[in-house]
Amino acid sequence: MNSAGEKVQLADPVPVQLLKADGTLVEHPVFSRYVQDLSEQQLLGLYRHMALERRFDAEATSLQRQGQLALWVPALGQEAAQVGTIAALEPTDRVFPTYREHAMALYRGISAEQLMATFRAARHTGWDPHEFNFNGYAIVLASQVLHAAGWAMGIKQDAAAGHLDRDRPEDEIVLTCLGDGASSQGDVHESMVFASSYQLPMLYFIQNNHWAISVPLETQSRAPLAHRAAGYGFEGIRVDGNDVLASYAVAKHMAEQIRGGSGPKLVEAVTYRMGAHTTADDPTKYRTADEVQAWQAKDPVARYRSWLEAEGLLDQAYAEQVDQEAAQLAADLRTAVHSMEPIGLERVFDTVYAEPHRQVETEKAWLKDYEAGFAEDEGQSVG
Amino acid sequence: MSQTFNLPDVGEGLTEAEIVSWKVAPGDTVAVNDVICEIETAKSLVELPVPYAGTVEELVAEEGETIEVGQPLIRIGAAEGAEEPADRPVSGAPPEGASSSSSESQQQGGQERTPTATDDEQAALVGSGPKADAPKARTRTRPTSLDLVEVPGLEPEGVTARTQGLPGGEFAADIVQRASPPVRALAKRLGVAVWELVGSGRNGQITRDDVERRAKQKEAQREAGGVPASGSPGQLGLLYEGPREEKIQVRGVRKATALNVAASASTVPHVSVFKEIDVTRTMELRSALRESQEYQGLSVSPLLFAAKAIIWAARRNPQVNASWHDTHYTLHNYVNLGVAAATPRGLVVPVIHDAHTYNTRGLAAAITALTTDARDGKTTPAQMQGGTVSITSIGSLGLDFGTPILPPGQASIVMLGAVRTKPWVVDGQVVPRQIVTVGGSFDHRLIDGDLAGAFISDIAAVLEQPGLLLD
Repeated sequence: MNSAGEKVQLADPVPVQLLKADGTLVEHPVFSRYVQDLSEQQLLGLYRHMALERRFDAEATSLQRQGQLALWVPALGQEAAQVGTIAALEPTDRVFPTYREHAMALYRGISAEQLMATFRAARHTGWDPHEFNFNGYAIVLASQVLHAAGWAMGIKQDAAAGHLDRDRPEDEIVLTCLGDGASSQGDVHESMVFASSYQLPMLYFIQNNHWAISVPLETQSRAPLAHRAAGYGFEGIRVDGNDVLASYAVAKHMAEQIRGGSGPKLVEAVTYRMGAHTTADDPTKYRTADEVQAWQAKDPVARYRSWLEAEGLLDQAYAEQVDQEAAQLAADLRTAVHSMEPIGLERVFDTVYAEPHRQVETEKAWLKDYEAGFAEDEGQSVG
Repeated sequence: MSQTFNLPDVGEGLTEAEIVSWKVAPGDTVAVNDVICEIETAKSLVELPVPYAGTVEELVAEEGETIEVGQPLIRIGAAEGAEEPADRPVSGAPPEGASSSSSESQQQGGQERTPTATDDEQAALVGSGPKADAPKARTRTRPTSLDLVEVPGLEPEGVTARTQGLPGGEFAADIVQRASPPVRALAKRLGVAVWELVGSGRNGQITRDDVERRAKQKEAQREAGGVPASGSPGQLGLLYEGPREEKIQVRGVRKATALNVAASASTVPHVSVFKEIDVTRTMELRSALRESQEYQGLSVSPLLFAAKAIIWAARRNPQVNASWHDTHYTLHNYVNLGVAAATPRGLVVPVIHDAHTYNTRGLAAAITALTTDARDGKTTPAQMQGGTVSITSIGSLGLDFGTPILPPGQASIVMLGAVRTKPWVVDGQVVPRQIVTVGGSFDHRLIDGDLAGAFISDIAAVLEQPGLLLD
């Protein structure tokens, strides 16, 4: 445990890398052993999860372009950072995602239908956060970082009280996701202060995808984001987020220490958002094709697949099996989206407070009356 | 059976998009998620994947066309006997936890791919597929009781703050604040300009009654004025069938004309002079030439004589046939005559190069060829270059005089009005004569009123007495 005044090393600005962009392995004194511990099945699983999410993501983007979803948030390009990190955690570790953690959500067993319910406006959140230890997507970014600190404080309090909640493991840790954009928000500062002060079991996982919508990273920060951790008195590290093995190993290493009582840690995964910020965004307006192309060459899925193939771990049959599973996942998604009905607005009012509330009831009545005002005119052209 | 894919809202709250390019054509076979077209919205350039598999039956919108969200974009005929794509939303591909129907058909000897089953699948697709994106906007007809707004904290401050930043500026914000969406929808339907109304509601709010009252007033005015009744554009508060405001892209000749006249009008100080003259003799000569065998098939118009007159007058007034270059000006010892022509594509000014070398018949032939080409849209860019002096014959439009803008690089443009029979005083007697106004615009940096006047007077002299051309 750090004590106040103890010097924390600044993260190496060169991200940890175990797999180069050309798919060859690099030795690392600290992190290579975590990869060596992985079974063949686990190694293939990392590939499978990345490939599934990529297909899922493409289908969701198409569905949005076909008018079936108001919005979609592509995770294209960030599969390795997400899959590697979530694979390094225990299923009981609580995750506080942004709205782009599709690979993590699918990894935890959340179905296509559950994941899509929010984007289809069929549910506020499509899954039970307690069932999957995976919170609802945070639409107001950076709020999840505070929620995570709160949850971690709860873990601390549970421990102080002697672990009265027997349903939860004693060494639970919290993963909170955020992006380079959210890192500039005040909420993150508050969360980190509390995490450090109370030595909370938290892993801050920043996916630095280089663009906060249209604001480039250089505007967000003049130093590596991982360096910020040192200012709060805990360790930060940079990892190649397009390298699933390094993402796994670094997260595993950090999680072990946090579980052992080290207090919070920060991982900055250096990656790139290959698609638009959301389907309502046009990235060609603010970034160059050259930049995108340069990152295309570092594609996380292709890189990992070529290594697996070179090692003789992945054969054609397995690749096809994954493709089929991915096609089925996409088909399930399409079916699910078409069958989902939007949630009634009434339900939105009903879930604000646990008990009836005068103002909410008034607003609900107002809206009902307002909506009814359109009904008499049904069928008439407005032009 | 065909399915229609309507233009979706691909951003958040977009209302329309322009079709930039089609990637498919009628008759093409498409699979689900194939890109069919590229559209441009207010936010972005987007490729649209099609939600249906089958054959393209119709592209409902054209390239360059802007259509509203919810309007039909493309019609796809169901693929006959085609294999279902794996990602097609069919009942035969249920989510895991397999449906009993598929295991039943497997018990019947793996017959789940029989034509009947395929039909069932398609029927199921119709039921569970996208519901044709019907526009969900509905008009509101009843006002919401306002006392509910008195709940503390529900005053519309939030609305004010939010709408002040709207693109329409304060005007739009003001309307949004003063008229609720249902009231605006009602006004739109009744053809009432909501921004002209004075609100009688609380805080100047425009109410449904305000709108209906104005609609009744308009109706009464219409009846009094005997304006055609129902369904006419007038009743919609418009001049003609069509949208209230329409954005037209500026391209081609219109764009070139706009650039040229804007540059010319803003950099060249124009001066114009006019003279009303008796061209009876010219018109007599014209009649004679028209009957002549030599002029068969050629246009013998007042423009021909004016062109001859310009060449004659330019010889006597060299400075009108010149170009201004700030530190110097260039005198042209030849006439490249620009002839302004109104064409279906817009205004073009083709040039007769070395017009002074033509005899009258040659000039008539050149003018005939040039105006025919111009009207057929065949004028080449080279034919429009190099003019030294121009003429615009607005008489053919039935007009008497106007002030033309100088073509770039030229110092004089002559204007010729319509020839009309008018009372004219000849030798103290009022007699009917054929009268025209001739004049033009000049670059005042180079040509003062006296020179412009001398030039126009020389042209006038020729047109009054075409015999002068015999010198």
